[in-house]
Amino acid sequence: MTLAAMQTSAPEATRADRLFDEHQDQLFRRAGRIFAPLMVIQWVFGILIAVTFSPYGWAGKVKSIHVHVYAAVLLGAVISSAPLLLSLTRPTWVVTRHVVAIAQMLWSALLIHLTGGRIETHFHVFVSLAFLAFLYRDWRVLVPATLVVVSDHFVRGLLWPESVYGVVNPEWWRFLEHAFWVAFEDAVLVIACVASVREMRDVARHGAEVEGLAAAVGHELRNPLAAVRNATTYISKRLTRVNGGAPPADPRILQFVELADRELETCNKIITNLLDFSRHRPLSVGAWPLRELVDEASSILPPTSVMVVNDVPADLPAPLVDKDQFRQVLVNVIQNAVEATGQNPTSPGRIVISANGGGDGPWRIRVADDGPGVSREIADKIFEPLFTTKTKGTGLGLAIVARIVEAHQGSIRLDSTSGRGTSFVIELPRARAEDQEARPTRRDAKAELPSVSQAPGRT
Amino acid sequence: MGECGRPSARRDSAIPAVTWAVGLGAWLVLVGTGVVLLWSEKTTSGAAALAPERWPRDSALTPEQERATIVMLAHPHCPCTRASLGELASLMALAGTRASAHVLFLAPGDTGEGWEQTELWRTAAAIPGVAVHADRGGREAARFGAATSGQALVYDSAGRLRFRGGITDARGHYGDSVGKGRIVALLGGSADALGVAPVFGCALDEPPAERRR
Repeated sequence: MTLAAMQTSAPEATRADRLFDEHQDQLFRRAGRIFAPLMVIQWVFGILIAVTFSPYGWAGKVKSIHVHVYAAVLLGAVISSAPLLLSLTRPTWVVTRHVVAIAQMLWSALLIHLTGGRIETHFHVFVSLAFLAFLYRDWRVLVPATLVVVSDHFVRGLLWPESVYGVVNPEWWRFLEHAFWVAFEDAVLVIACVASVREMRDVARHGAEVEGLAAAVGHELRNPLAAVRNATTYISKRLTRVNGGAPPADPRILQFVELADRELETCNKIITNLLDFSRHRPLSVGAWPLRELVDEASSILPPTSVMVVNDVPADLPAPLVDKDQFRQVLVNVIQNAVEATGQNPTSPGRIVISANGGGDGPWRIRVADDGPGVSREIADKIFEPLFTTKTKGTGLGLAIVARIVEAHQGSIRLDSTSGRGTSFVIELPRARAEDQEARPTRRDAKAELPSVSQAPGRT
Repeated sequence: MGECGRPSARRDSAIPAVTWAVGLGAWLVLVGTGVVLLWSEKTTSGAAALAPERWPRDSALTPEQERATIVMLAHPHCPCTRASLGELASLMALAGTRASAHVLFLAPGDTGEGWEQTELWRTAAAIPGVAVHADRGGREAARFGAATSGQALVYDSAGRLRFRGGITDARGHYGDSVGKGRIVALLGGSADALGVAPVFGCALDEPPAERRR
């Protein structure tokens, strides 16, 4: 255990565990998104091999569909079915990883079979082991995969040795020699998995410490800041009363008081961000119409010359979200877009919030601005905590957005083309039908046209 | 590392665990059944040759006088025969000048021009020491008593049958085999008895019901 770990407090250790779990869940979901199509691709590939190289069996002039085609279509479908279903619906389950591992090895065996035992196809075994280890970062998945390979070699070595060893009378221990090379790769992969998990733990602990620091700084500064704000407000009022409503003789006094007030407001925003970042409120979900949420978020924004267009259809099915937290998502994203659009000197700026989906598919919410766009390098880091390109930003606003969206099992991405604007795209997963039926949606039938918000007198 | 195996509790409650367990059990049974069926098909040999003990006099081919002659009867469209030809190529490389080979591709009379001129024909023709022929109407196959594609027969320089069987150990499966090992031993002078091995491949003749039609 490192010194840093020893110094981590109990709440931070718990938080680090949660961050680690969340990161691992993300990895498992990503692995599921890769293995699910891979299962389909292998199936199609197997069918193509069978149809190309052994389409028919023959008896004289009479041909019939070759058993390889049936094997590729039917057995391939069976092999792929369970890992496909589990990867799509239960990507974080332990059993999913093990079923995927077994299926990968079964695919190795089937592809080797379909190619007539070509030695080149045996590389599928080694590539699959590496895939499993690096995508899941869980050395345990190598156990069932290796057992399938060893069992296959052992059984066939007893019953049909030539098919695996190429000789008729191999030594009894020959299967161990083949297993050794798989075990050799396993050993390397296990070391890599263990090191990777250790790094993930370090990252989680570091994240928990940053959050703890943010919370401490936020709490410690909040009360003194409130006192200073009260003081400046009092001074401001007194200055006006002293001269019977007339400005003080030295105009700089009021200017400095206003300056102090503005900077205090900035400090307040920073502290609010720090506290939001460090606070992890549980979700309290309900079916909330997106159009209303966008209207509420737009009304909270400070006055701006940028035109904000709410183009969310009024009859869009309501997603299951935590109203307050998701409104904060919209506020942060729209605020970010407003600030980005304001950087474009040639245009007054326009932001369009649109949405589609729901029903049978996921919800997709797009916040598009016509600002200057961002570079690829910035886009890659934009959701990382403490990353900012603004002189006064904390770099926490979009990190908070990403965290809340992930808590909703959703995802957020940035589409940007330099000089042609930026779009934030939030995807929320399709709600379960019973959830949708249980929660009546609140639709505003009157709000059919896009609503536009803009600060009066600021255009 | 303890967390690696931790199941997530999120969104997993819709289907009872027992349903998943039964489903996975069924999956394993289905996979196992498929593998066994495939294994069974792969290792089921074809009809063995009733090859004459001496080189058939009515054959259009003549045996080598100073070395062994390998005869392989092949179906030009049989995918399993690709592996047999692959093993024949390996065998001919091992045999060197100790054997020559003829590959006779089935060419039924009513199948049209070029029916037997397949990729397998070209593969066989490219093997050094191998002569490729069309077996019109399957007459040579009948003379050599062959019924399965990939059937190999080895006659010595005196025209005596020394081996009959296949040179793969399963349908369309590359790699060493009992038959290939016997031929290698025979050519090396370390085998005296008649070598026999199962043959794996497509049937050279139609099923009886098809022939009657």
